[in-house]
Amino acid sequence: MTAGTGLSARIQPGLAPGWRYLAALTWGVGLWFALTQLPLLSVAANRLVLGRPVFGPEALGGAGSVILAAGFVGLAPLVRGGRRIALVAVAALVVALLMLADGLGAGAGRSLAGLAPAARAGLGAGSWLTLALLAGGLGFAIRRARLPRLGLAVGAGLGLAVIALGRAGRLDALSLAVEYAARRETVAAAIREHLVLAGAALVVALIGAVLLSLWRRGQGLIAGLLGGIQVVPAVALLGGLVALTAGLLRALPVLRDLGLSALGAVPAIVAIAAYLLLPLWRGLALALRSPDAATLEAAEALGHSPAQILAGIRLPLGAPIMVGALRVAAVQSLGLATLGALVGAGGLGRIVFDGMAQFAPDLILLGAIPVVALSLGAEIGLSRLERAARRRWHA
Amino acid sequence: MTASTETTPHSVLAVALTGVVLAGISHPAVATGIAALLGEPARRPLDVMRLLDLALRHLILAGTGLALVAILGIGLGILVTRRSAAAWRPVVDALAAGAQAVPPVVVVALALPVLGFGGPPTLLALVAYGIMPVLRGTVGGLEGVAADIREAGTAIGLTRFQVLHRIELPLAAPAIVETLRTALVLAIATAAVGALAGAATLGTPIVAGLQNQNTVPMLQGAAATAALAFLADAALLAVTARWRATRP
Repeated sequence: MTAGTGLSARIQPGLAPGWRYLAALTWGVGLWFALTQLPLLSVAANRLVLGRPVFGPEALGGAGSVILAAGFVGLAPLVRGGRRIALVAVAALVVALLMLADGLGAGAGRSLAGLAPAARAGLGAGSWLTLALLAGGLGFAIRRARLPRLGLAVGAGLGLAVIALGRAGRLDALSLAVEYAARRETVAAAIREHLVLAGAALVVALIGAVLLSLWRRGQGLIAGLLGGIQVVPAVALLGGLVALTAGLLRALPVLRDLGLSALGAVPAIVAIAAYLLLPLWRGLALALRSPDAATLEAAEALGHSPAQILAGIRLPLGAPIMVGALRVAAVQSLGLATLGALVGAGGLGRIVFDGMAQFAPDLILLGAIPVVALSLGAEIGLSRLERAARRRWHA
Repeated sequence: MTASTETTPHSVLAVALTGVVLAGISHPAVATGIAALLGEPARRPLDVMRLLDLALRHLILAGTGLALVAILGIGLGILVTRRSAAAWRPVVDALAAGAQAVPPVVVVALALPVLGFGGPPTLLALVAYGIMPVLRGTVGGLEGVAADIREAGTAIGLTRFQVLHRIELPLAAPAIVETLRTALVLAIATAAVGALAGAATLGTPIVAGLQNQNTVPMLQGAAATAALAFLADAALLAVTARWRATRP
């Protein structure tokens, strides 16, 4: 523990040994518990009935103890510092994760041997807890290793390795893979629809935000209005929009000829865009205000026109703020697009809602995993861009 | 959530008024009137008692979630800003970013097979999604307290708990209350999403209306949910405005 004042302790964080050992112990016991005491797989006669739990040795065979051992090696950075220890831990945890994926695939195959084709082997609570603990440990070890881009490389490598395992047929017996195999095209189409919905809403909101920021005198009113929209729950906005559009179409059937309909992509895009207006409009206002008065006066003194000042000074200096606003809006848009399925706009929400209606966990996961992956991808990608923009123009 | 952070009686009134107008729209007579105006046949509007019942259930669910979120979020926020736990900050920040990437609908959907239909998955989604903004706001507020003020407290002989209780928390309070408003709005929105998992809330008539193309209850549910959000926001604004006025 550093002996400095509060501030220096905050800049150079160190964890009291007691806490570190407690955390390591909790994590280790949790991993042991997940691998040996909780069901790793759940084998059912078909996808709708409750499954029979399958525990550690039966599910993973000998791989279980290797995963546990590798997991304990992965604990090392919690107890001791140093880059080399952190790198060893990263390697151990990557091995553990891959062995877990491969072992569960093989275990599912063994558990299903001799059962009817409708039988399913789903992942149990133990598998999810193991996955969470190993992934958490990996994140911690990567941070401790303090190597630039290590996290990105490990993440991409793990993703590719799991895809390779899937391609090689090692995961085929897991019910998630079975669901995916049965709906490959549906999932691909849903991802496309989801991206179109989220992207269209983002573009509409961006245009809206630019137009709103042009109306100088109404900025106070706009602030209140956009703040008010944020208070309206998304389900209510969608429902209200559909109800009003349906009524409007009945009153003015001409609109129907223009391609407007109460259900479908249009109300979903309008509703999503409404929520994105606030972050984008606020980001735009902050971005345009970011250069200080002296810089602007200097530019004017040099004879730059307002258009030149906008393109040469305001936009570059405000770029990081704008990219930050875009990041917030993009993540929100991808999440809200899930609700679009409620009004028949399609997207990944449709798979999620189908899964909920059928009470089929794997179907829900099949829709949920891409949603989370897309949101995380947008968050990570755009925050990198934000940092790059900051380095480029604020060096 | 709203752009202005200062709370004038004026803005409280505007928010409350919006809520009252929306509540008026959700009244069966008004909603059928609007539908009739647009040429929509008035099919089975919800009566006032049913709306009030759903509103109460909605409020209980959202309130329970908000209480859990406040306790866990503020508590964890205090913990991670203690000197001995500073190493956990990156972990908490990473978790905060990660949790925001999982939209409430998805949490509700994922919790459904584990927790079953109804309130529990909704409550889980409420806590999972709401905790991180509160945690972040608490951490931001506590870190905004200047180090020399804190050190002055230590210098005059206050214990660490007293520094927290008498200096850090009062100074961080406005920031914490602001994030609680965000959490409140999130809680009411998530409770509405919970209707998809079978929780009886004001989202129920919306979801049912969308499924069987029944516009009037859909409009009523939408207006009532929005009304609840605005009224709750106004109530929290009013309470904090009073509370700030009575403090030095």
